[in-house]
Amino acid sequence: MMGKGNSWKDRLEALGHWFFYVAMRLFGHAGGYVLLVPVVFCYVLCSRKIHDITRPYLRRRFPDHGFFRLWLDTYKNLLSFGQVLVDRGWLGLNRDASLQGDFVGYDKLLHAIKQGRGVVLLTAHIGNWQTALAHLENLPVKVHALMQYDQQAVAKHYFDLQGKTRSFEIINADGPFGGMIDAAAALQRGEAVTIMGDRYVKGSCSTVDFFKSPVRLPDAAYLLAACTNTPVVVLLVANTGWGNYQIRVWDPFYPQHENRDQRPAMLKECSEQFALILEKHLNQYPFQWYNFFDFWKQ
Amino acid sequence: METIKNQLKEIMVNDLKIQGMKPADIRDTEPLFGDGLGLDSLDAVELVVLIQKHFDVQIADMDEGKKAFASINSLAQYIEAHKV
Repeated sequence: MMGKGNSWKDRLEALGHWFFYVAMRLFGHAGGYVLLVPVVFCYVLCSRKIHDITRPYLRRRFPDHGFFRLWLDTYKNLLSFGQVLVDRGWLGLNRDASLQGDFVGYDKLLHAIKQGRGVVLLTAHIGNWQTALAHLENLPVKVHALMQYDQQAVAKHYFDLQGKTRSFEIINADGPFGGMIDAAAALQRGEAVTIMGDRYVKGSCSTVDFFKSPVRLPDAAYLLAACTNTPVVVLLVANTGWGNYQIRVWDPFYPQHENRDQRPAMLKECSEQFALILEKHLNQYPFQWYNFFDFWKQ
Repeated sequence: METIKNQLKEIMVNDLKIQGMKPADIRDTEPLFGDGLGLDSLDAVELVVLIQKHFDVQIADMDEGKKAFASINSLAQYIEAHKV
């Protein structure tokens, strides 16, 4: 849902964002949430495409739901995503604003960092993940984010809206060697590298089961960790209410392989572990999955 | 320099496990990535770590890596220039 140019759709999207920004400037954070309800309802009612892009996940998460329940599930899914966008926009508009939340397992993360070997923070397009990134500025080490950074997107990352300084450095995943050399160097210095572990764009991947269907997941994060002897810590964010969220740190794991021949099996095992963690999280927060495309065909 | 090149070729075959090749088969000017030896970005990570392990030389960023990883020659030159 990111605009990339000056087409009428991009202008319409920009106009839509403008309405939300105005609502929040006039009525505060709640203004955005209230405006969201009829907007999402209209999308769900009028857009066939919305159902096409949410059904691949919802049908697998709720295999026993019929037509009307799936329609309601789509509404809940989109409303949840809309709340994330409103939160992001609110934080971007107000330098002093913050969201309420807690960081479960923060001590596990600190313990992993204190080992001095660096840490790979694996996350996914679930919950308010970008806001969670902002909280990493409290970590005792420098944080890097290995990501594709679209600077032409209409929906600006919140740290750009007011020229706010990012709490982490971006390593461009579109750069030479997919940014892996910079990431390895950062880990070798004992720093943290966050990587999105769900969307596969290019490069190495493993095919694993996710909600009982095979899916390709990117697995470079595990090789990075294995080569630098670094723990992988999965970090997932859940929206727990209006303006509230929870960052949860899962138990670290340590990818290892003896040689290149063992690499594929190691990568697959780690990918399976990550898929299982995603399933557990989504079993608890089923409407916070924000990969709006057929994830099983990526 | 020849010693470094030979060591690098041994690393490619024994540590990176390039299939069907002996160290003597690897040409000094052959591209390491893509159409040459066919290494990929995951191999780049392994190579960075192996170079640090064997030569105590760190490749700090992808700009340096791109130049160094062009061929065995360029990688050997990089190591020679950065060895402590």
